[in-house]
Amino acid sequence: MLETDKLTKKFKDTVAVNNVSLELKKGESVGLLGPNGAGKSTAIAMISTLLKPSSGDVRLHGKSVLKEPGDMRRVLGVVPQKIALYEELSAYENLKFFGRLYGLSGNKLEQRIDYVLDLVGLADRKKELVKHYSGGMQRRVNLAAAMMHEPEVLIMDEPTVGIDPQSRNHLLETIRRLNHEEGMTVLYTSHYMEEVEKLCDRVYIMDHGKVIAEGTKEELKAILSDQETVWIEFDQSYPELFKKLSEIEGVQHTDAEERSLKLIIPKGMRLLASLFHEAERHGAQVTNVHVQTPTLEDVFLRLTGRTLRD
Amino acid sequence: MGAFLIKDIMLLLRDRYELMILLAMPFLLIAILGFSLRGIFSGDLEALEMDLALVAEDNEAQGIEAVQSSIDEMNLPPENAQALKRAAESASPHAMLLSLLNSEGIRDLVAIEQMGREQAEESLEAQRVDAVVILPEGFTQSALNNMLLGASGGAELELLAADGSSSKSEVLASILEEFVRNVNFESSISRLSGAGDPVEISGGIETITAQEPITSFQYYTVGMAVMFVLFVGSAVARQANLEQRQMVFERIRLSNRPPLLYLSSKAIAAASIVLVQLLLLFGLSMLLFQTFEADSGTFWLGIALISIVLAFSVGCLAAFMVALTLKVESDAVPAIFSAGVISLMAFVGGSFVPLDGMPESIRAIGNWTPNGAALSAYFSWMLDPDIRQLTGPLSRICLVGLVFLAAALAIFPRKGGAA
Repeated sequence: MLETDKLTKKFKDTVAVNNVSLELKKGESVGLLGPNGAGKSTAIAMISTLLKPSSGDVRLHGKSVLKEPGDMRRVLGVVPQKIALYEELSAYENLKFFGRLYGLSGNKLEQRIDYVLDLVGLADRKKELVKHYSGGMQRRVNLAAAMMHEPEVLIMDEPTVGIDPQSRNHLLETIRRLNHEEGMTVLYTSHYMEEVEKLCDRVYIMDHGKVIAEGTKEELKAILSDQETVWIEFDQSYPELFKKLSEIEGVQHTDAEERSLKLIIPKGMRLLASLFHEAERHGAQVTNVHVQTPTLEDVFLRLTGRTLRD
Repeated sequence: MGAFLIKDIMLLLRDRYELMILLAMPFLLIAILGFSLRGIFSGDLEALEMDLALVAEDNEAQGIEAVQSSIDEMNLPPENAQALKRAAESASPHAMLLSLLNSEGIRDLVAIEQMGREQAEESLEAQRVDAVVILPEGFTQSALNNMLLGASGGAELELLAADGSSSKSEVLASILEEFVRNVNFESSISRLSGAGDPVEISGGIETITAQEPITSFQYYTVGMAVMFVLFVGSAVARQANLEQRQMVFERIRLSNRPPLLYLSSKAIAAASIVLVQLLLLFGLSMLLFQTFEADSGTFWLGIALISIVLAFSVGCLAAFMVALTLKVESDAVPAIFSAGVISLMAFVGGSFVPLDGMPESIRAIGNWTPNGAALSAYFSWMLDPDIRQLTGPLSRICLVGLVFLAAALAIFPRKGGAA
């Protein structure tokens, strides 16, 4: 349905997006995962026809949309990372304005406003000014505004940044419903691995402007099929011990937090003896050890040597 | 287009800061400047009240007698000689001056006291009087000789004014100059027509200015109105910058509406706001300060015409500022415009003080600013409601507006394509 072909964007000497080729099938939910600065937003802006690529193409149903973006814009609902709303207008007034821009009027407009407000759970607060909403509520209206013209494809650029867990869950559940129950095609970008894991059938992983891996969640995790992730918790922080453990032969990647350490090791590697030996030497108390199946975060760590939060 | 207009006007109505700039500030300034500077405007007659010492060194009777003797020596036919003698008695310039100073419109302003020259000069120095008018010796004879017998010269008056009363003395000087000019001019007519009785000479404020003067409240209502409509341009550009920063502009682009629809809606919204702003400022000023008389439909039609043309020009200016703001992707454009450019335009346009004393170059620049040309148009209309007088200033306002519009279209980012 929607595809990009070697999409590239250069800003002077910086290549923000480098030969990115993506494909979205109808009704599919696709994640674009990458850390901040990976080039996700730039790619989204080009796909949305808001930014002209330096090279490459964006096609809808096989037809390039770069010169005639009208067809693309009609089927596209874009939820930008910023709250693209008038703060001094109410949710209802914002939706009415954007609905009218898409040619809606009269009863049809009112019905559509009621529908999208109901969808995002703000029907009973529609008359309040957007500036008086919480961050989460503003994000929900941001989504509602993108839904006014009944788009076929929903493109979301980090839609949950900076909101409370309750609003985040509501938003994710709404997107899941749109995809599963209404068959809406979704392109979801985030640097929150768990959101992409929860929502998306397929995932593209971006870093430094390039797609470094792609596939279903299972296919990506299979990259780590010969590996295990070991999560070790201590009674307090031991930087020297963490350094020592990361230097054990066979340990492939480490990710240290204050009182815990995550190690990616080859499957079957005998780690525990070395672990407890070193812990005793450093006077550290191990409070918990568990081995987990790989996550997309682990895949990213393996591919880039960094975490998504870096 | 309707959606854009409704949205822009709703946003403005909810922006207290902008409302204060667009309505409260000009109204406050009209009140302050109108009250505090009313003395410098000729329309505030109470500010022109003055005490005048009249020194009559001329002997009227002797002057008339001397002229009548001259007539006798001219060997004219008896009927003509008799008619001229009667005219000399009835058209005494001395009496006419007293009559003028006691006429309606002037007697309320000028309190006259007759005194000798020495006493008058002392009174002037002691500031007990504001001016001294001296009818010099031979005034009547010279005037009548000129008026009836065609002798060269003519009537002359002397005026002494106190320091610090320039506006008062200027007005008095104008009255007296007009009087003297009338006396000498009418005498010429009288001689040329050969009439026995000279034409009656009248005087007063009307003969000096020929129009109702502008009051300080009228001046500053118009001055502040034409200045503060310019702030609509920066308000609309500021809103455009906010839309760009918050990505609402991107959302509007995604709706696939023609990009120029956005620009034209901004221009129309600005023009509509200007019209409402002018209506409120003129209306409130009329209600609270009795700035204008409400009984003339023609007067208000002219004001409406000027306001519509000004609104068009400011709409074009707003479009230019919106285009520039979106082009440079910064709120520096409206910030610089409202912080500096408007004050400069208001100064050269004459919003703060009349430009009469300014260098010609400043007046010329001011005439080509929308506010300066509009100020000129409003005052021309208020002084003399003749539509022909508006042609020049209204053409300039339109032309400046079209230049702004052309510049706006040239730089507006037409992002109809993928960027």
